[in-house]
Parts: sequence; C-alpha cells; structure tokens
Amino acid sequence: MAGSFFRTKSLWVIIGLVILFLFPVFLDRFYIYLAAIILLTGLCATSLNFVLGYGGVFQFHHAVFYGVGAYSAALMVLKSGLSPWLGFIVGPSVAAILGFIIGLICVRLSKLYFGMLQISLGSLVWAIVYRWYSFTGGDDGIHGIPLPDIISSPNGAYYFTLIVTSVSMFILYRMIKSPFGSALQGIRDNPVRSEMIGVNVRQQQLLALTIAGFFGGVAGSLFVVVDNTVFPDMMFWTVSLELVIMCLLGGWLSFLGPIVGAAIIVILRTYVSGVTVYWALVLGIIMMLVIFFLPNGVLGYLDRFMKKKVRAR
Amino acid sequence: MENIFGFISPSILSQILVGLSRTVILFIVSSGLTLILGVLRIPNVAHGSLYMIGAFMAYTVSHLFGGGNTGFWMALILAPLGVAALSFLAERSLFQFLYEREHLMLLLLTFALSLVFGDLVKLIWGAEYRSVPVPSIFQGYINLFGGLPFPIYSFFLLVMGPVIAILLWLLTNKTRIGKISRAAAVDRDMVGAVGINVNWVFAIVFVIGCLLAGLGGVLVAPTVSVTLGMDHTLIMEAFLIVIMGGLGNVWGALLGALIFGLTQSLGILIWPQFGIVFPYIAVVVVLIFRPTGILKSTW
Amino acid sequence: MKRSPRIVFLSVILLSVMCIFSLSHAANTIKIGIVDTYTGPATTFTNDVLDGFKLAVDRINVGGGILGKKIEYTTRDEKFKPDIGLAMAKELILKEKVDILMGTINSATTLAISDFVKKEKVPFFVTFAKSEKIVGEKGHRYIFNMNENTEMAGRATAIALAKKPYVKYWIAGDDYEYGHAIADAVWNNLKKLKPSAQKVGETWWKVGEADFTPYITQILAAKPDFIIVATGGSGMVNFQKAAKATGLSQKIPFYQHTATELSVLAPQGPNGPEGVYGTANYFFYYPDTPENRAFVADFKKAYNRNPRIGALYGYMTAQFIVAGYKKAGKIDSEKLINALEGMTLDSPVGPLEIRKCDHQLLLPMYFGVTKRDPKYDFLIAGNIETIQGRDYVPSCQEVLKLYKK
Repeated sequence: MAGSFFRTKSLWVIIGLVILFLFPVFLDRFYIYLAAIILLTGLCATSLNFVLGYGGVFQFHHAVFYGVGAYSAALMVLKSGLSPWLGFIVGPSVAAILGFIIGLICVRLSKLYFGMLQISLGSLVWAIVYRWYSFTGGDDGIHGIPLPDIISSPNGAYYFTLIVTSVSMFILYRMIKSPFGSALQGIRDNPVRSEMIGVNVRQQQLLALTIAGFFGGVAGSLFVVVDNTVFPDMMFWTVSLELVIMCLLGGWLSFLGPIVGAAIIVILRTYVSGVTVYWALVLGIIMMLVIFFLPNGVLGYLDRFMKKKVRAR
Repeated sequence: MENIFGFISPSILSQILVGLSRTVILFIVSSGLTLILGVLRIPNVAHGSLYMIGAFMAYTVSHLFGGGNTGFWMALILAPLGVAALSFLAERSLFQFLYEREHLMLLLLTFALSLVFGDLVKLIWGAEYRSVPVPSIFQGYINLFGGLPFPIYSFFLLVMGPVIAILLWLLTNKTRIGKISRAAAVDRDMVGAVGINVNWVFAIVFVIGCLLAGLGGVLVAPTVSVTLGMDHTLIMEAFLIVIMGGLGNVWGALLGALIFGLTQSLGILIWPQFGIVFPYIAVVVVLIFRPTGILKSTW
Repeated sequence: MKRSPRIVFLSVILLSVMCIFSLSHAANTIKIGIVDTYTGPATTFTNDVLDGFKLAVDRINVGGGILGKKIEYTTRDEKFKPDIGLAMAKELILKEKVDILMGTINSATTLAISDFVKKEKVPFFVTFAKSEKIVGEKGHRYIFNMNENTEMAGRATAIALAKKPYVKYWIAGDDYEYGHAIADAVWNNLKKLKPSAQKVGETWWKVGEADFTPYITQILAAKPDFIIVATGGSGMVNFQKAAKATGLSQKIPFYQHTATELSVLAPQGPNGPEGVYGTANYFFYYPDTPENRAFVADFKKAYNRNPRIGALYGYMTAQFIVAGYKKAGKIDSEKLINALEGMTLDSPVGPLEIRKCDHQLLLPMYFGVTKRDPKYDFLIAGNIETIQGRDYVPSCQEVLKLYKK
C-alpha cells in the first residue's frame, strides 16, 4: 500500500520535472525567468521549513542565509579572481557556517525567545552588510556580476536553477525521511520525551539549523545566477516573514508545501502589482483567510480532501 | 556644578538625557506589547502599526483643533482612544477566535494585520509627510550644563514615562481587572473555572495594550515627521525590549527600554560608525546569560 | 459542511489568478512602463513624478498621440525592494514588451535595472534615483538621467557656498550611501573651490534616527561656522524639527540638499525653521515666468495641489520622449536615442538640454534659504541663486573617464 503510494508519487515527480525541463521550449522568456525565481524562492522556503515545519524551531530570520549565500557567491566571483564556479560552493558554505554560529548562540532558548534572538543576530548581519561600503557596496548593492557563459543566458540560468533546486530538494527530502529527520520531528512533537529516550536535542537542532543555512545559501547563490545582482534588502527581516508566510500558505506539514506557497506568492506579487498598489492589503487579507480557513495550507488541505475522498469510497 | 560634572563631558550627559526621553516612547509602546504578550500570549506585530496609526490620528486631531495647544491635548486624549477602538474591533472580529492556536499562527495573523493597517493608512492619509507641531507651552529649549540646549518637549516626555509606569502599576495591582488578568496570565483555565468571563478580560487587556501603542505614537509625533513605514523599525525594537526584559513583565519592559535606549545613545559616542549594533549586542548578551529575560517572565 | 468555504476560497484564488493571466493588450500604441516605489515614505516624491508625466501624456493623447499612435503607460510598484523592482522591469520588457522604461527612486533598483536594459537595448529614463554611478561608472547608451545626482548637487552647493564667508565646517548626515555621497560631493568640491575651508568634525547617525538632539549638542559644542547636513527622506523633516526645537537654526547656519523643497517645508507649516540653506531643481513659485505659471496652473487644475520637484522630472520625461519620437519619425529605440542626444526643449524652468555624451538632462539648480512669506502658510525659499546646469554638471571628459567598458 505504502509502496504503491510512493510509486505514484515518484511518477508525479518525474512528470513534473519533465514539464519543468520543457518549459523553455514552449514558454516566453519572462515565464522562464518567473519559473526560475519561483524555484529558488521555493528552495529557500523549503530549507526554512526543514527547521520550522519539521524541526519546530522558530527560525524567524531565514533570509539572512539567503542573503549571505548570495553575497558570498557574488563577492567570490567578483573579487577572488578564482573560478566563478567556486562561488557556488563558497556561498552556501559561508551560509552554513553562519547558520551554525547563530544556531549555537540561539539553540538553548525556547520558541519565541529563539525567534527573537535570531532576528536580533540576523539584523546585526544585515546592519554590517548595509554599512560596509568598501566590501559589500553598501545599500546600493552589487550589480552586473559576471558569470560563466553557460549559465548567463536566460535558458542556461533556468536549467542551472532547475537542476540545483531539484538535487537540493531531493537531498532535503531524503534527510527528512532519514532517522535524523524522524528524530527532528520527534523533538518538535515532544522535546522532553526525545531527551528521555537519549536524543541530544540541541545537537540535532544545531545540525538541522546548519543544513537549513546551507540550502538557504544555495538559494541565494541561485539568485545571483538568475538576477545577476545582490543587495542588502535581500536579508531584511520582512523578507524572512514573507518566507514564513510561504511555508504557511503552502502547508508546512507537506514537503512540497513551501514551494507551492512560494509559487502562489511570487505569481500573485507579479500580477497584482500590475493592477493595484495595495499589494500589502491583498497579501494581508489572503493570509488572514489562510489562517482562518486553511490552517494547514493549500497542500495540507488538498491532502486531507483527497484522503477524505478515498475514505468515502 | 562644573566640578561635579567635570569628569563627564556635557555632551555625554545630554546624550544620556536624550537617550532617556527616547526610552520613554520605547517603554510606553513595549509595555503595551508585553501586557498583551503576558496575558493573551499574542506576539502582536501589528503593535507597530497601531503606533503609526496613533501618530497619524494625532496629526488629524491636532489639525482639526487648529494645531495649537488644544490640538495637542485633544490629540493626546482622542488619538489613543481611536486606536483603542480600532484594536477592540480587531480583537472581537479576529483574535478572540484564535486564542487557543499556537503562537506562530497568532504572530502571522498580527503580521497580516500590520500589512492591512499599513495600506489602510496609505489609503486614508496618503503618502505625504505629516508633521504635528510641538505645543507652544513645550516649544523651545533650556540650556543645560553650560549652554547645551535641551528641548522642553523632551522634559515633558521624561515626566510622562514615570507617570505611565505608575498608572500601569496601579492598573495591574490595584484594580480588579488587573488582578484577574495577572491571574489569567498564570493560569487562564483556573480563572475561567472560577466563573469569570476570561474572554472579556482578554479583550480589555488587549485594548489597553493597544491604547499604549497609540499613546506612544501621539507622544512621538511632535518630534519626528509622521510617515508611512515608521512602524517598521519601532516594532523590532519593541520586541527586543520585551524579550530582554522578560515576556509579560511590565517592569521588564521598563528595564529593557532603558538598556536599549542607553546602549543606543552611548554606542554612538563610543563607536559612531557602528553605534547601531550596540543595542543588538546588548540583547544577545542578556539572552546568553538569562535565556528568559532579565526579570521574571510570565510564560 | 466545513469544507465549502475552503473550496470557495481556493476557487476564488484560482479564478483571480486566471483572470489576471488572461489580460490582453491593445496594439498600435507606444508602451511606456514605469517601475517606481508607491509604498512607504518615498511615495511622497514618486506620486509627483507620475502625475507630472500623466499631465503631459494625457494632453498628447488628446491631441492624437505621436505619429498616429497613442501613448499607453503602465505602472508597477517596486515597494523600494530591488529584487521586486528588477522582476517588474523584466516583466514589463519581456512580457508587456514596453518600448520605454521609466523610474525609479531607489538607486539599487535603478542600477539593477540599468544592467538589464543595457542587455535588452531598451531606453530607460531615470526619474529620481540620485546615485552618481547611474550615469557615471555604470553609464551606457540606453540610460537617460532626468534628475540631478549627488555629485551634481554637491558641486552646485559648493559653487554657492564658496562665496559665503564660512571657514569652519561640520559634516553630519544619515549613515548610508546617499548621505555619504552628498556630504563627500559637497565637501570635496568646496575644498577645491575654497582651499581655506576646514572640516572641524563629522557626525553620522543611523537612517531613520528619530531624535537628533544629542548630535546637535555635540555639534554646538564644537562651534563650527556652518554645518553640511546630508539627510534624505524623512530625515530632512526630522532634522529641521530638531534644529528648531534646540535653537540650532538660529545659532549656526546649515545646509541640506532639497531643504527648501516643498515636500520638506509644507508638512511643517508655519513652524519650519528659518534660515536653512538648501538646493533644489524646482519650485512652483520660482522662476516666476509665464511658462512656470502655466505649468503650475495646469497641474493644480488636474490634481488640486502645487507641483513639486518630481512633477517637473515626470513632465519633462514625457515631453522629451514625444519630441524624440517625432524627430526620429519612427517608433524605434535606436533612432529615439539618436534623436534625443543633444536635444533642447522648453520647460517650466527654461530651455533644457539632454547632453549627448552621457544622456544627462541639464537642469538649473536653485540655491536658497528658507524664509516666511505672507502669501503661504509654510516657509519658502528666498534669496535664490541660480546655478546653470552646464556650470555644475561634471564635464563630459570627467564622466566618460568613469565609464567602464
């Protein structure tokens, strides 16, 4: 039963990937760009959900890793003179190290305290990037980052994003299904019990935070590929809350929830702003509706809807 | 006088005094935030928006009354009441259905509300910078410590701080509603079991907390330009203060605001380039040594 | 029972997305895309750019358009976020296929978009961003700068300040790119024109600082002759309020770029500080010429308020686009750019030229000082000294030296 369910699931995943690979054949350049943005934002939200949804850790300022990953990759490409490909290793690695450091300081705290201290530390990083003109370019950011030819064309950038995102998502998925992932979810559901049965709660959470930082950094590096630019606003705290909204909207108990949430937010943001300047109002109302009527997000709802149907049969 | 303050430069003293008057605003806003956190357990991100709305309402009221002294005093009374009415509406129509939900949901709901409020302000007041004049009795400055000017309005703020703190203390310790709410903060089921309508207690506490946000907005209005986006930096600072002081503890908010205001103004003296980072470092240091804040948290 | 609202909600979202997707577009128009900030404090400036632009475009469309085509414009709110701004610009160019792009007030967004339009070969008219990199080191053929930048403001100010008797200067400002750029530009140019000027100290505060009293105290203690204050946005008003409250404006004269501008002085009403020096490209009451009076009357009739600085930028951008296409005789970007290079048009502030070498619009700069006027219930600029564009805009040789590639 479970096996066949998994098989149909992987079938859908393969069909989805094939469609995504064929996008550039039948879609206009703008939609390819939009798809790339959705993919990398979705990856960022998924990496957040790894600790937020599965780990139950209030990572409120995840955008810091996104931004630091992007800045490290960009600065590596621009200033080191080494191969630009190295930037895509350095970016996520620096983000992972930062994730570890911030995690180390915060991990002793519970829930809301954790979240607030994390925002505080994240804001520190933001403030430094914002002011260190000589190194980071200050609030103007860095633009026109030169990249290898193969990924600088729109299609090249898209395929690179698609491949890296797919691989990263697969790794994250395997991790959630691994014993480590189970331990993490056990900690989320009942930390006291986990500790009793001999799980080193802090160590596990710290590992999860480092991994989340790494994949946040991967998403940031992909942003450099797709948009060729970085700026400090990428790691402002409101961006982080938007990432949390994506997780909630898509459903944080479903693995693909955050990417669905990211797709909805990015698409709506793109089209609503052509119609009205009251985007915040629209987003706010959507969020309220979700909180009241879809507490498990779009995917969570569909999931339950399907199950009910199956049961009804 | 000279020899007493000989070892501290006048500019440092002035810096401290001004830091204190800024602290008052931070305290008033964060005391409301911490009250709501302590009793209702809502991390109210929309608190900053209510502060902004308070400032905009102060602008409208003071202009309705001609902008002079009456305008200011009317604004001081009417604008917080307006904010309170708005928050009452929000509590009855939204929050009361969600008290049992987890904090993250409540946090996101208040964030959604802050987005809506932000755009409503833009709809109602437009994008212009607004300015509330300093009432004429508080206009001008006095010279301190050998000719350094200190605005009289800042003195007014310095007086307001303790007044609000005492009123809050009276409210939470000497009134029935205060006692019930303190009990509800510790064990809400128990309070309900005794036959008290917790629902209404929550509504009243929520409204009082938001009223304080509005009051903060009115008080800050004469010193700054009232603009969209003034809620963004403030709400972050208020949260850090509340966390530092201990969730739900009004005295903690006072202490947190003092630490925050003073590290900020002294940080600029020590290292002007990165003065902005000192309050954040203070928060980090406090939480490393006292993970649940300096004073006792009600959580 | 519980399910139905969820289904309704889901289908509403789906429907609305589909509706928006299926919006189609009319052909045979000239499409101009505007990316700018319409959220947050910067909106006070960008609304005027848009309204000034609309004023000109509506009139042209009523008169039959250009070359038989009407102008169609569409706006996008970038919310002061460069990633969104860039995504909007890509949407406008790749999907809406706009002929021309216009905006923004955010320098980071402008630089990001500039990099993109260079690849896509779409003309981009910059209407409010002040970074000197835009037509400096990041300049290229497809960018037009319709407003002053920090270097220009600094030079104009230095020219006027060099004639004043002040020697000991203090520099203070918002600690971000714009603040430092303005301060550096004023100071470096002043030092060149008047070597005897000396800097006695500097103070920088965080952007959005609410209380300036401690900084003012520090500055007063040093007793400089003059203060160069490099604030932007809401910091302009905040500093002036603090200067008034502490009596600074009566003790030491100070300068802020755009201190005399309507958006800074009008909110303060009659309580603004007198004697503050400032520079701006436009006032609705100056120059008191028939052209300006007519422009102000039209603008007031359309929007029931006085035009501010942005209105001139938006209005003239539209005028240049129209005149450029007319001269080119064809809706073609390359021809439009060729036509615009070196073009001069009449404006409310006199004839204005788009320079050939770097596509910079040469605007006059007005250096003045705030004063009361019985005609208005707010302060206005007095003792205005006009500095012509060719005198304060960096020369072509200087700019081209900065060009990369």
